[in-house]
Amino acid sequence: MNSEIVLRFGLAIVIIGLGAFAYWLINQRLLVRASNNIFKLFKKLPNKPVLVYFTTPDCTPCKTVQRPAIDRVSSLMGEKLQVIEIDATERPDLAKTWGVMSVPTTFLLDARGEARYVNNGVARAEKLLEQIQTL
Amino acid sequence: MTQTLQKVDHSALKTNQIIIISLNVLAFILNLPILAAFVAVMMGIGSALKIPGFGFVYKNILKPRGWMKPDVLNDNPEPHRFAQFLGFLFMTAGSIALFVGASVLGWSLVWLVVALAALNAFGGFCVGCAVYYWLSRFNLPGFTKQPPAGTFPGMKPKIGASL
Repeated sequence: MNSEIVLRFGLAIVIIGLGAFAYWLINQRLLVRASNNIFKLFKKLPNKPVLVYFTTPDCTPCKTVQRPAIDRVSSLMGEKLQVIEIDATERPDLAKTWGVMSVPTTFLLDARGEARYVNNGVARAEKLLEQIQTL
Repeated sequence: MTQTLQKVDHSALKTNQIIIISLNVLAFILNLPILAAFVAVMMGIGSALKIPGFGFVYKNILKPRGWMKPDVLNDNPEPHRFAQFLGFLFMTAGSIALFVGASVLGWSLVWLVVALAALNAFGGFCVGCAVYYWLSRFNLPGFTKQPPAGTFPGMKPKIGASL
């Protein structure tokens, strides 16, 4: 009985792992798309990490969680980080080309303009800071 | 086309999906077809009452305690109800298969529901809603709603919806 549960648990982990791998592959594709479309945001790279934040006016988690988290990251990083906020209702073209499926979505780009991280949904300040440290 | 949208709390839908995923995975690990059948029943009750089957957990526990914030969007509730009904059918078929001894078929159907619920909860894409909108293109009776303006059929609305 116990060995059967362990076997089933292992199988569940493998299935969930395959799902997570598929999700990771989709995110990698999003990062490639973002990197390929970087010059739709800038004419010239700012030579520092950039946080691109997709939101909409009627997105409640954006206002209550994501916006304060980004404000905190921005105040901690100061001039070392550029934050770009994009209203997907005003720039649906950008949301589409960057493959944004829902809001909030945040992208982190390194100084060379390469998209390194994408967070679908709310990303807390601690997580954003951790990601920025590795850029 | 302008249509009347309603306020839909996507946090209630997400809670429902996460509970469905958790209970189904637990049912599989512990080999408890009765738990899968319970999920099917709850989804059936939810479909009949036009609410998320496990929405009461969000409404009575998570939301009042502030553990989950409301995520209210202008959306059509009908496709989400249809999606839950489709899930109910899959879960019912899966549970019946499990009870008659067709384990592989039964658990495959249960995992299919898990995968679709996960895609909705974590990827923001509702396959059942996409099927609803696809059927509405054929003017099937009862399938009258169109996706909110600027929203890909089945995706969580992100673009300002027209009211």
